[in-house]
Amino acid sequence: MADVTFTVDGKKLTAPAGTLLIDACRKAGIEIPAFCYYPGLSLQAACRMCVVRLEKVPKLQTACTTPVAEGMVVTTESDEIKQSRKAILELLLGNHPLDCPVCDAGGECELQDMTFKYGAAESKYVEIKQHREEQQWSPVVFFDRPRCILCYRCVRVCGEGMDVWALGVQNRGVSSVISPNGEDHLDCEECGMCIDICPVGALTSGTYRYKTRPWEMNHVATVCTHCGDGCKTTLGVRSVDDGSEIIRGDNRDKSGMNGDFLCIKGRYAFDFTTREDRITKPLVRQPNGQLAEVSWEQALEHAGMKLREIRDTRGGSAIGVIGSTRTTNEEAYLLQKFARTVLNTNNIDHHRTADYASFAAALQGKAGRTASLRDFLTAPAILLLGNDATEQHPALAWNIRSNVRQNRARLYVANHADIKLHRQAKSFLQIPQDGYAALVQYLAGNEAGFDGTEISAAFREALRKEESLVIAFGSEFRGRDIQSLVDFGLGLPNVKFAALGDYANSRGAADMGLMPDLLPGYVPLAAAKHFGEEYPSLPSAPGLDMLQMFDAAEAGNLGALYVVGSNPVERYGIDPTALKNTFLIVQDMFMTETAAVADVIFPAANLYEKSGTVTNTYGDLQLAKKAADKAGVRTDFELIVRLADKMGADPKKLVPFGRGVRADMGQTRGAQSGEADRHAVWLAANNLEPKLSPFDPFAVFDEIQRLVPSYNVSRFELLGGQDKQTRSDLVQIELDPARRDLVLPANDTLFTSGTLGRYSRMLHSVMESRTTKPAETAAD
Amino acid sequence: MTRGWCKEYTAASYTVVMSIVRNIAGITKGMSITFREMLQPTEVENYPDGPGPTRGAVLQERFRGAHELQRDENGLEKCVACFLCAAACPSNCIYIEAAENTAEQRISSAERYAKVYNIDYNRCIFCGYCVEACPTDAITHGHGFELASLNATNLVMRKEDMLVANVGMPGQLAAHSDSLK
Amino acid sequence: MPRLVSHPDEVKIISRRFGQGAAEIDRYIELDGYKAAQAAIEKGPEWIIAEMKASGLRGRGGAGFPTGMKWSFVPKQSEKPKYVLVNGDESEPGTCKDHLIFLHDPHAVIEGTLIAGLAIGAKMGFIYLRGEYRYLLKIMEKAVADAYAKGFLGKNIFGSGIDFEVVTQTGAGAYEVGEESALMESLEGKRGVPRIKPPFPAVVGLYGGPTVINNAETIATAPHILLMGGEAYAKVGTERNGGTRLFGISGHVERPGVYELPMGFNLKRAIYEVAGGIPGGKKLKAVVPGGSSTPVLLPEEIDVGLDFDQMAKAGTMLGSGGVVVIDESVCMVEFALRTIKFYQHESCGWCIPCREGTDWLKKSITRLHAGGAVDKDIDNIRYLAENMMGRTFCPLGDAAAMPTIGFVKKFRHEFEEHLNGKGCPYEHQREAVLV
Repeated sequence: MADVTFTVDGKKLTAPAGTLLIDACRKAGIEIPAFCYYPGLSLQAACRMCVVRLEKVPKLQTACTTPVAEGMVVTTESDEIKQSRKAILELLLGNHPLDCPVCDAGGECELQDMTFKYGAAESKYVEIKQHREEQQWSPVVFFDRPRCILCYRCVRVCGEGMDVWALGVQNRGVSSVISPNGEDHLDCEECGMCIDICPVGALTSGTYRYKTRPWEMNHVATVCTHCGDGCKTTLGVRSVDDGSEIIRGDNRDKSGMNGDFLCIKGRYAFDFTTREDRITKPLVRQPNGQLAEVSWEQALEHAGMKLREIRDTRGGSAIGVIGSTRTTNEEAYLLQKFARTVLNTNNIDHHRTADYASFAAALQGKAGRTASLRDFLTAPAILLLGNDATEQHPALAWNIRSNVRQNRARLYVANHADIKLHRQAKSFLQIPQDGYAALVQYLAGNEAGFDGTEISAAFREALRKEESLVIAFGSEFRGRDIQSLVDFGLGLPNVKFAALGDYANSRGAADMGLMPDLLPGYVPLAAAKHFGEEYPSLPSAPGLDMLQMFDAAEAGNLGALYVVGSNPVERYGIDPTALKNTFLIVQDMFMTETAAVADVIFPAANLYEKSGTVTNTYGDLQLAKKAADKAGVRTDFELIVRLADKMGADPKKLVPFGRGVRADMGQTRGAQSGEADRHAVWLAANNLEPKLSPFDPFAVFDEIQRLVPSYNVSRFELLGGQDKQTRSDLVQIELDPARRDLVLPANDTLFTSGTLGRYSRMLHSVMESRTTKPAETAAD
Repeated sequence: MTRGWCKEYTAASYTVVMSIVRNIAGITKGMSITFREMLQPTEVENYPDGPGPTRGAVLQERFRGAHELQRDENGLEKCVACFLCAAACPSNCIYIEAAENTAEQRISSAERYAKVYNIDYNRCIFCGYCVEACPTDAITHGHGFELASLNATNLVMRKEDMLVANVGMPGQLAAHSDSLK
Repeated sequence: MPRLVSHPDEVKIISRRFGQGAAEIDRYIELDGYKAAQAAIEKGPEWIIAEMKASGLRGRGGAGFPTGMKWSFVPKQSEKPKYVLVNGDESEPGTCKDHLIFLHDPHAVIEGTLIAGLAIGAKMGFIYLRGEYRYLLKIMEKAVADAYAKGFLGKNIFGSGIDFEVVTQTGAGAYEVGEESALMESLEGKRGVPRIKPPFPAVVGLYGGPTVINNAETIATAPHILLMGGEAYAKVGTERNGGTRLFGISGHVERPGVYELPMGFNLKRAIYEVAGGIPGGKKLKAVVPGGSSTPVLLPEEIDVGLDFDQMAKAGTMLGSGGVVVIDESVCMVEFALRTIKFYQHESCGWCIPCREGTDWLKKSITRLHAGGAVDKDIDNIRYLAENMMGRTFCPLGDAAAMPTIGFVKKFRHEFEEHLNGKGCPYEHQREAVLV
């Protein structure tokens, strides 16, 4: 829309016509206070805090409902406005309990801030305050009614944002009260958005309440470790006896692709990090068959010696390596490099939840064809094929809902189940569970094999009319189906694709070459030319995949198996006795089914306890920062390097550390001013910081950026905490069409998260409190 | 001539006499303070050989000594672990860990209590900001001043060291009689 | 059926058919019924709006917006269907005029709805009665059914080829729903809370369509205006305040009741001559001139004409025409308390100033009336009320604040008599306060 010019407090501002005055002012740095106004949600105009004076209008007007108009003259601060806001605060504070010292919101409470600003400090209220007992609505949601100021933000975010509509208002007048859908409890997705969005301490979180105060925590911006969406999250940590403990997760600064959204897992399910049954000491199986705690040195020595012995006597092909879908890119890369250059084997695989290799092959290096999670917020049209995004990709579902609501985006859904996003869909097509391939053929114009109806014909017609489309497809699509889907999509103008896989770094694991036939960047083993320098003795024959490794173990042909952060015994239903003749090394947090039969167990750190980069399923690369700490555990990165060291390999060949230039670390620029920090970021971003430690993930990231061109994104923005889309145009691969496709979807729901979910008490308590139980708890 | 001498003599004798008078006046003024003070009660405190728990030290009411953590009329701890004292502390010597009261175990009157409350007297400067900041009047300055120690680690006081005694509190008695039943 | 009152000073236009059995459609037709509607069909919307504008009819709900102008605001072309909505949610304390119209002359409402529909090009009208008027709904429903049976409503009305439907509906009993946008929410089956304006109902109203929403009395006046002509109707009243209006005079008067008086009729005459003055030789203490939300008038202020402009000049409002007369036996603090209790109970809870303010005022005045207040509490009551004025989402906040400010301003001495533990001096001679 055309721009209009108007005056606010004597300043000339310009904004598109129809912009709300409050938004236009905030954009120009003029703060207008508001409780009920929340960007992206419907207007309420109930709190009356945002009142401003418009010239020639008799009454004060609310800035949240006034669109800007040409020539408008606005005053946002005057004695009259101040008094009006002060009076509102006085009225609110009338019945509001003054228990700020114990209230969780104390220190980050909008009512507190406003009271400071407008000085409604003197309490005129002398009547008896209404006191009501706190209610627990779910294991994670508590409601303290007297603190509620009835801004209805929670009601709106639950209904409009989440499409759950679990909160509402009961009664009228001063008896109005926010109430949950289940009379005294909530029956919802437990996303905690209501708590997050509450401007006061009325809604509090079960994991955080009464534990600490906002200013007592350290806040670390990192990436959620649960599903493949890679939501940015800010973890609040506090120090405890054995490290630092995570007590809160949110994304209040809306800095990531997920805006302020986090699902139940991102917001609460970090309690697995503090489980008391977490392994914190290395364990080695003794001759008597029992596992015993030993020192790190002994454990590493033992494992390194055994691996070296097996490699030297039986060859690298007798060793298998299984990587993780939740370690960083650097760790995944390092693991496959370790396997290929130190163990001398291509027997490396991971639990694949989507066929990223076929997706990369289908795109054939075309530029600008992969969709970021951000694209789902702005795309004018979205096609979702397969996958129940509400359960499996909550942030994707949130972005789609926001886009449909705010931009009237057209959503097309084809699924075998009646998924919840049906409600946002312009057009919904229910197809048989095995009908996805036929559907793509049908959409492309080939009617054979698909029972076309009027609805499907209209669906196809509408899709063909779209001028710009984002296609997200679930793990229902593999191999050739992806190829034909991409071919169909490329026939439409301006199409982007996203392959939906499950775990936090599933995409990274595939990109980093945790596969028997593909090197990092999906480079086939046969075409490994530019890997020559870093990989001096690369075995050329493709290795065994996951299932073949276990077959080999059963046949007695696998001397050793090195499992990093994975539980294949449970996930693939493998009989543990198959591994009785295999020397098994497991790095994990917990005594999983696989760890239980291991010969050596190394206690490993999780994604919240390490630094590095991760790639979400859309190919968005993000920086993970170390937030929590647990005494006794080591990062997988460190363990791989130390194991290589114990095997006699040169760690410097594995991790190219010590190659950077010597540089001024900022001391000359005034270390007190924070300049040193900024300088360090600048150095790191420009690849200049000295990597002096063999455990420095960025030394490996340097190598990744050299060898995998698609990861060669701006480091400056990456280190600044932004997400950077990896570049699909730099992937040039030819796939062997005969390769095996081992995709096994995680089938996680909103309340499960593989191994992490099994060890999260909070997720369990939420599931137990629910009346409708999810079918099956998945585990990896 | 005589008159001149006389005049000179007079002037000289006047100067001498006046200086004597001034000296006497000065001494008298000085001594008067001395004698007056001699009659006043002694201001020197007989610390550490005096009587009483302070061993002769007399402290002003407002004296800021070692901290005390107070209890309310029911014998519950007043501290609700709001961390405001820690936030206000300029020398960063207060360490708190908060925990939630449960129905079975009620420590403070609000939802939260201080599970751990440490003050590091190596660093405390007795500025009183923590007392100013406290919204529940839980922390106050007591009159304890004999804090010196040969071992620095002894100077970290725990909550148990600072909490006022619970005996004689009405709440305590009630709780006690309940438990008897 | 309530007793009807009459006085020679009345000018009977709207109340012309009261007490004559006009609820029966045949009798209504005998009394010139549905003639105006037929004329409207013949002469078209421009004529209707011109007549309405000429009549100087101003909205009888309380705000006094000129009706002809309101109708002309509705866009001629609209993608969504247009609607006429009759606001019969008459809940203002002291007001009971629409009640009589529904009771005695339901067809006038239907005919008026039809005329409004013709004026704006709507095909559908809704008649919304307050929840407590459920018993009147039966009368309305019968009237609507009779009109359908005669072919005055439905398809091809009066054989003109025009379709017009009328639906009756009732609420659940909320004062707030008398606000036009809250009424629309309620009619759509939602919580009765007001909507954000703009857009105004004339542009985006019921179910998103352009909607004309008028008070039942306004709508019932329309047929009479078309029959007698706008100019003639305007002449009855004063300048810019055309016609007559129903005034419900209640409280301490000899002959309480609903009287139809021309606009600009002197309030003092209305009380002392039309309603017969104060019974028992008592002295007049105060008059609430237009329903409980209008500021109170002192006895020396009542020599004023009952129209929108003169009342505004006197510092009060004509409101909904509910005149409440209060004699010297009434404690004004108790009266103020009763008024604020009503608003506290009826506040919808949407916006802060009204939700919190009415409750705080109620608590403060309750305490004050019982004698538990000190001097600064009176200032605080006035402070609260003044800070509610103009700050609320809908006019309910103003409706609560305005009379409160009036009471404190004009009867401060009575408030002061309650202070410091003294309590209510009228307690021993207490009488039920109307309202």
